[in-house]
Amino acid sequence: MLVLVAYALFAASTTAFTRSANIATALPIVAVVVLAVMRWPLRPRPLALGPDAGHPWRAWACVFGAVVLWELAEYAARGSRADHPTLSSMLDAVNRFYGLKAIVFFLWLYLGAAIVRRGGRRQRRARSEAL
Amino acid sequence: MTSAFSYAVWAILGLALIVVWARSSVRGSTLARPGMVLERLATGPFLRIALVLAWGWMGWHLFAR
Repeated sequence: MLVLVAYALFAASTTAFTRSANIATALPIVAVVVLAVMRWPLRPRPLALGPDAGHPWRAWACVFGAVVLWELAEYAARGSRADHPTLSSMLDAVNRFYGLKAIVFFLWLYLGAAIVRRGGRRQRRARSEAL
Repeated sequence: MTSAFSYAVWAILGLALIVVWARSSVRGSTLARPGMVLERLATGPFLRIALVLAWGWMGWHLFAR
């Protein structure tokens, strides 16, 4: 966790469209891809909940679907970006402030780490049960 | 249509996300918690590839470009 915070503080000091920003962003992407290849099972078993679980994913799918549709509508709308803000234009405004950019970068790193961890969790659980 | 309408829709979507998140945290809820949603995506044979690509693209788009 401390490593992620330190890296986010460093990466937030870089400026977009520069080589240092490219490198600071590319390194975590490469790390996540490498860790995913190393830790994830070749043939994953998708997480399935029991028949009593109801519709555990439906509300999430609806919200994320609505976000994607609105993002596309705003992106395609005629007019200035100020009149039709997208997620990235709003985050660009946030990223102008060093502290806020460090927080956003940390959240992005944390999500990457969580993706790697969650993708390999069931395999590790199955392996520990087999022992 | 002014930007006020756009921001209002974004605010409603953000609120909806918070409500779903909060409801999933209630004991006995039938909604999957965020970690389970992530695990479902990260264990799907094709979804996991899309998930990593989307995560990487998001970072590149926001911080590098």
